[in-house]
Amino acid sequence: MDILIPDKWLREFLKTKATPRQIANCLSLCGPSVERLNKSQYGPVYLIEVTTNRVDSVSVYGIAREVAAILPRFNIKVSLHPIKPINLDLNKKVKYLKAGVDHNLCARFTAVLIKNVSIKTSPDWMKERLMAVGVRPLNNVIDISNYIMHEIGQPVHTFDYDKIAGHRMILRPARNASHSDAGGGEKITTLDGKTFTLPGGDIVIEDGSGRLIDLAGIMGGENSAVDENTKNVLLFVQTYNPMSIRRTSMSLAHRTEAAVLFEKGPDPELVTIGISRGIELFTKLTGGKPEKKILDLYPNPYKAKKVEVDIDFITERLGVLLSKGEISKTLKALGFETTWKGKKLTTSVPSWRANDIDIPEDIVEEVGRIYGYHNLPSELMTGRLPQSLSNSPFNFEIKVKRFLKGAGGFEVYTSSLVSKDSLNPKVALRLKNPLGPETEYLRMSLAPSLIEAASQNSGEKESFHLFEMANIYIPRKGNLPDEEMYLAGIFSNYSYRQAKGVIESLLEELNVKYFFEPEDSQHFIPSQRLVIKSKGNEIGQFGVLENGKIYYEFYVEKLRNVSAEIGSYKPIPKYPAQIEDITLNLPPKTKVGEVMAEISNFKFQISNVELTGIYKDSYTFRIWYQDPTKTLTDKEVEGVRNKLLKNLKEKFGATLRN
Amino acid sequence: MQEEIINIKNEALSQIIEAKSKNELEDIRVIYLGRQGRLNKLTKEIKNLGKDERKKAGFLINESKNTILRLLVTQRNKLQESAREWFDPTTPGIKPKRGRLHLVTQAIEEIKSVFEKIGFVRVRYPEVEWDFLAFGSLNFTKDHPARDNWETFFIDTQAHPTYGPMLLTPHTSSGQVREMWRVRSTSPSTLSSGPNGSGFIPIRMINIAKCFRRQSDVSHVPMFHQFEGLVIDREISMVHLKGTLDYFARNFFGEDRKTRLRPYNFPFTEPSFEVDINCGLCKGKGCKFCKAGWHELGGAGMVHPTVLKNGGIDPRKYTGFAFGWGVERVMMMKSGLEIPDIRLLYSSDLRFLKQF
Repeated sequence: MDILIPDKWLREFLKTKATPRQIANCLSLCGPSVERLNKSQYGPVYLIEVTTNRVDSVSVYGIAREVAAILPRFNIKVSLHPIKPINLDLNKKVKYLKAGVDHNLCARFTAVLIKNVSIKTSPDWMKERLMAVGVRPLNNVIDISNYIMHEIGQPVHTFDYDKIAGHRMILRPARNASHSDAGGGEKITTLDGKTFTLPGGDIVIEDGSGRLIDLAGIMGGENSAVDENTKNVLLFVQTYNPMSIRRTSMSLAHRTEAAVLFEKGPDPELVTIGISRGIELFTKLTGGKPEKKILDLYPNPYKAKKVEVDIDFITERLGVLLSKGEISKTLKALGFETTWKGKKLTTSVPSWRANDIDIPEDIVEEVGRIYGYHNLPSELMTGRLPQSLSNSPFNFEIKVKRFLKGAGGFEVYTSSLVSKDSLNPKVALRLKNPLGPETEYLRMSLAPSLIEAASQNSGEKESFHLFEMANIYIPRKGNLPDEEMYLAGIFSNYSYRQAKGVIESLLEELNVKYFFEPEDSQHFIPSQRLVIKSKGNEIGQFGVLENGKIYYEFYVEKLRNVSAEIGSYKPIPKYPAQIEDITLNLPPKTKVGEVMAEISNFKFQISNVELTGIYKDSYTFRIWYQDPTKTLTDKEVEGVRNKLLKNLKEKFGATLRN
Repeated sequence: MQEEIINIKNEALSQIIEAKSKNELEDIRVIYLGRQGRLNKLTKEIKNLGKDERKKAGFLINESKNTILRLLVTQRNKLQESAREWFDPTTPGIKPKRGRLHLVTQAIEEIKSVFEKIGFVRVRYPEVEWDFLAFGSLNFTKDHPARDNWETFFIDTQAHPTYGPMLLTPHTSSGQVREMWRVRSTSPSTLSSGPNGSGFIPIRMINIAKCFRRQSDVSHVPMFHQFEGLVIDREISMVHLKGTLDYFARNFFGEDRKTRLRPYNFPFTEPSFEVDINCGLCKGKGCKFCKAGWHELGGAGMVHPTVLKNGGIDPRKYTGFAFGWGVERVMMMKSGLEIPDIRLLYSSDLRFLKQF
């Protein structure tokens, strides 16, 4: 999360001659990243990104602590002024408030009554600081809460004490919406005037009259809010169950600064400083009189966590050797206590780092970052090489793509997520939480996506060819779906022969022995679809869609299985071919593919046949007459030709055109 | 005689002008300038003239020869020129249809080839995955935000009894544990093979794949691509991570590029880093296109011991590093392309596709 830290406020806790730019650079290298150094009326302001595991740094004081540990590594002098809490009289019971707390939801519950506050605007120094961190000052009571939250990272809430019925509080989970006898979830109106129906399990506070007066950790209730007539304030500082806070805040889409902090699990020890700062500021700015006895329900106070690590472990992971003294110095600056026994180091983790320091690697991280990752050498690893993947598909896939590109195709990447209309929703996998109905299902064919892609270019007058290679998802019971890699393409304004030629050419490039078989199918114009087969298996299809576009697809794995990297060797013919063009008139509805198959299979002395032209019902074929054992004489060619023509006449009614 | 010379000259000139071919011109040359030509014949008669006359005639004959010769050549060139076929070499060519590979494919090929040169093996793992591989085995806590309905797409189907809900993989890191499993089954004796761990096959994986996240705005698309590097062997340290990233920076972005690591946080690496690359424009001095001389490239870290354990690898013997970055991001950074809305990258508009 990004936070704003004014330089002047930061220096209240730091003594250093470092410039704001120096502080920004050093912090970025060894601690939280300073994204920007802004100018403001209140002087320079750092915009800092703090990672979610470091909620201890989400405050002016937290950043000051980091700066104090980091600057010495850059040979810049710095000292930290720690915040010391005032003398606090903490009690499990107080007269002014009866509280029942579910400690699974609230690890520490602290409150103090402050009487006779006078509500007015805050002093300028506080207003300036709040504005510098992007908070609008309202009145002293509200401003104090916001000020403490930005100063130390502890959210603070205030109730109008006189609005809490019976001065009684019960902190409990909200009733489950589905099981509630009342039907539907409990309702609460927060102090921004919005009413929410709670999903259940949310942390709420109920007062003596059974009303909900607080959506704890997120926002207070409207019915218990401080207003201009408030006399007595209940200052409220707690630590809540981070999971509950996140769930409620996300499901209600109610993202407050307090919620964002609480869901990251701030240090319960910080509550002491929070209540202490609150009492100080209320006394100073509102003239209020705090009760001596403070309510503090904290059944499990922090006991210092120990993490052990070996010096060799640190050296091996960092790749550089650091001395024991250096390691201890670094850790102490971060608030750890260290004890060495030979090579073994025992560290005692400060309360504010309890959530993110668990294992020896965490200690390596602390030592490494302060040493500066940027100071580590850079070397490629040596040692054994891994085995390559057997049967890797990648080279084949790129070969296909490159060929299609060379043949004029444009590669597209369309969404794997599609709408209900483009597939059978009874079969396809559906998302539980789609972004919208257009991307609700996992596609089972590339065809609808490519048809859509072509229609995006309906304004294009030139012919075009789009293709894509992507997975389709075939559901399997109780298992992950089969992800099948498909190649599909669509031709617009291509003639049938042009389009088919691209596919034939591709298959030849891949050294696939293929044949086409006409077979009708859904979405294609009858008689205008071919199944592409190789070695007896169907590997793809090609045909004219009902919308007139030409579509093809291949199952890439099958295509790869029938392809050969290098074509097979055939001896170069020793004797030349006689090549001639003959033009035949074919009766209507003759399939020219069958005629050509007949010609090329007719006799071994015909080595090749091509169609060179079509004019009305006349088809011109170029025929290669060739014998592997001798040069054919004109007479022999004539013999073959005559037999061929006779055969074609009998089979197809083909006649020689004069 | 002078008159005769002038007449012959004029006669020759008019014949040259009317000549239609080179042969004709050659004939004319022989008739007038040949050894037995008409002008040479006159030259022989000069000696019969008086001294003054002789001089003038000699001069005139010479001058006539030169004039005729010049015109002959000019006329021959003229005839040659017009005999040439008219040709305009400035006509534009007819181009064969040229398609395009998608920018993402181009980037993937380049990334792949950089890593393959240092022994990385390209792999691909499921796009639809179990929660365990995407999160659980990667040390994400149960309540980690990435695991909730607001960031990751879940499939509306029964959860696996062991591996949890089915989802669309939000990152290529889901391949980490799968790769460890793959390598281990190639060498089943891996972990029980004695103190030297002989038989362990080191991992240098580069996993490039489609990923999905529940996001859509000018800088985010719900479907995108990542590439994930994973290296596991004995004695792998941060120094090797830096070496690998610098190698990539130099070979993908350019000779004078280098990376820098800063602290960050990910559940599946410890320590974790944010990787920066020095700005290609200002070379690290700081300019308006970068952040004080650097650009953020993506995340990296040392593989968390829990992740190694989940992959069946003993974290006391082996260490490793991993990084996972956006293909689209490095491609845009490299090319300097400024596409105002990243979703355009996934449109099929030819007016866009034709540009690359």
